Amino acid sequence: MTSYLLRRLLHMLPVLFLASFAIFAMIYAVPGGPVAVLVGENASPEEIAATIARYGLDRPMLIQYFDWLGQAVRGDFGLSLHSRQPVLALIGERLPATLQLAVAAILVALLVGIPVAVGSAVRPNSWLDRLLSGWSALALGVPTFWLGILLILLFAVELRWLPSASRYVPFWESPVDALRSLILPALTLGIYVSGIFARFLRASLIGEAKQDYVRTARAKGLPESRVVGLHIMRNALLPFVTIVGLMMANFIGGAVVTEAVFTYPGLGRLVIQAISTRDYPLIQGCIMVILVGYMLVNLIIDLLYAWIDPRIEYH
Amino acid sequence: MAARRDAMSAMLGSTLQVLRRLSARRSTSLSFAFLLLVALAAVFADVLPLDPLTQNLADSLMPPSSSAWFGTDELGRDILARVVYGARTSLVTAFGAVVIAALIGVPIGLVAGFFGDWRDSVLMRCIDVLLALPNILFAMALIAVLGRSQAAALVAVGIAGIPNFARIARAQVMALRQLDFVTAVRSFGGGSSYIMFRTILPNALSPLVVQAIVLASIAILLEAALAFLGVGVPPPTPSWGEMLRTGKSYLHEAPTYAVLPGLVLTLTILSFDTIGRALTALLDRHDTGVPERRGR
Repeated sequence: MTSYLLRRLLHMLPVLFLASFAIFAMIYAVPGGPVAVLVGENASPEEIAATIARYGLDRPMLIQYFDWLGQAVRGDFGLSLHSRQPVLALIGERLPATLQLAVAAILVALLVGIPVAVGSAVRPNSWLDRLLSGWSALALGVPTFWLGILLILLFAVELRWLPSASRYVPFWESPVDALRSLILPALTLGIYVSGIFARFLRASLIGEAKQDYVRTARAKGLPESRVVGLHIMRNALLPFVTIVGLMMANFIGGAVVTEAVFTYPGLGRLVIQAISTRDYPLIQGCIMVILVGYMLVNLIIDLLYAWIDPRIEYH
Repeated sequence: MAARRDAMSAMLGSTLQVLRRLSARRSTSLSFAFLLLVALAAVFADVLPLDPLTQNLADSLMPPSSSAWFGTDELGRDILARVVYGARTSLVTAFGAVVIAALIGVPIGLVAGFFGDWRDSVLMRCIDVLLALPNILFAMALIAVLGRSQAAALVAVGIAGIPNFARIARAQVMALRQLDFVTAVRSFGGGSSYIMFRTILPNALSPLVVQAIVLASIAILLEAALAFLGVGVPPPTPSWGEMLRTGKSYLHEAPTYAVLPGLVLTLTILSFDTIGRALTALLDRHDTGVPERRGR
């Protein structure tokens, strides 16, 4: 188990290396690059030369990259070009807000997605299945930013029940305030993710329902609730869990847009801000953190496997 | 020559058959009809009596009326006209992005799946990186580098779609390369690139075409999302995402401003998705030869 974990963590390194290099090269290729951001538009040639010398931007790209990499592996992603604060500190400030939104959205997605999937998989191609599959298609097809706008129109503008712009309130400090701010963004993101959950879990459930062991379970007279809930569900969760891991990138992407709709102060907003102000160290830091997060979630999911399915052992 | 003509007519015949099967379902024929409408609007936008650019501040933020069916925006421009011209932006971006994704992704998948050695590992690790990065972030970062323009949006969305094609093409090659007809071509002395592009690729086309349709819906969504975040096609070019972005600021004064363009965008995405899924289902049944069971 430990050796498996180590191996998996080692496998992450080449991907991170490739990704960080690609991003670095991309930024290096920008005409003007960080210099243009550092000195502003009306800088004199002397100022530009001084800035280039001060930040070592005239060195070859590979040397600059390994310099950055050497600091990054020690947890130093440099300073933001605009706020002059450490990149990692800025990310750390926003991370709890995004995690809170993510947890809330996943709860919504599970609460909506699992019943929808079970409801449609019990009788494939029935009217109920068609209705619920239509719901999944809708949940996936409606852009999160439009759904968010519709929810704001209904609950904030018309009914005035909830705020249209969300703040980050830690849940343990004030659950009521936190919920008021979280409901709309969590619904927006959660409904989208519920579409993913429902579609894949349905396929997985239908696939399992055709297996012999299900017939055996029915033949020995188990009640349908036990057949579905215990036998089919447990086996169907396995492929489903993989999909959830693979879909993490979509989830993060959805979170970026959702945070923008509700001006929610999470990591996604930080990235957008970094990109629109060309804050290169911040862009690079955010993307690396998101990548590491994505890969860690996938690793955790693979470990969850062994827990869901005792037949699987990692060596 | 005759063989090629036969192959062409067979392909045409099977395409017609697929279209007939698809239009038998109400949801897919409705989707076709809607997409046709959007495409016609995009193509003939110049002929229609619509003007997306002329400002008229006296008539800003008007609700829908007989003179402006979708109302007017904050500069008094006709929202319907902007939606129609926005269709052009959306479809051009989607089409271009799918072409870019296919031109790069398919060869990557073919080579990776055909050789399966170190080339497979290296190419697929690169694809993994693309997959791990959320599409939207990748596209935004690329636009930060390229500068904001329609071409940049198109390229960014296209590159984000490369993994889809690469993975499907790779899976297809791996399934096909062991089959007898490939061995036959090889024994006649067919080289690797001949086998990949002339023998395997034509037989792997259907899933790739389906993927193109699925990707079109993703590309339209992504283009709109980029515009919504303020990094898509620069104004004053009409774009659905940009209209939602501005409309969001006027939810109190003109609620329809953000709602109607969003509705057209959503219906377009749903239509592509519906057709894509219907085709996938058709293909799956075709492959296994087992008709889908209805009921229990």
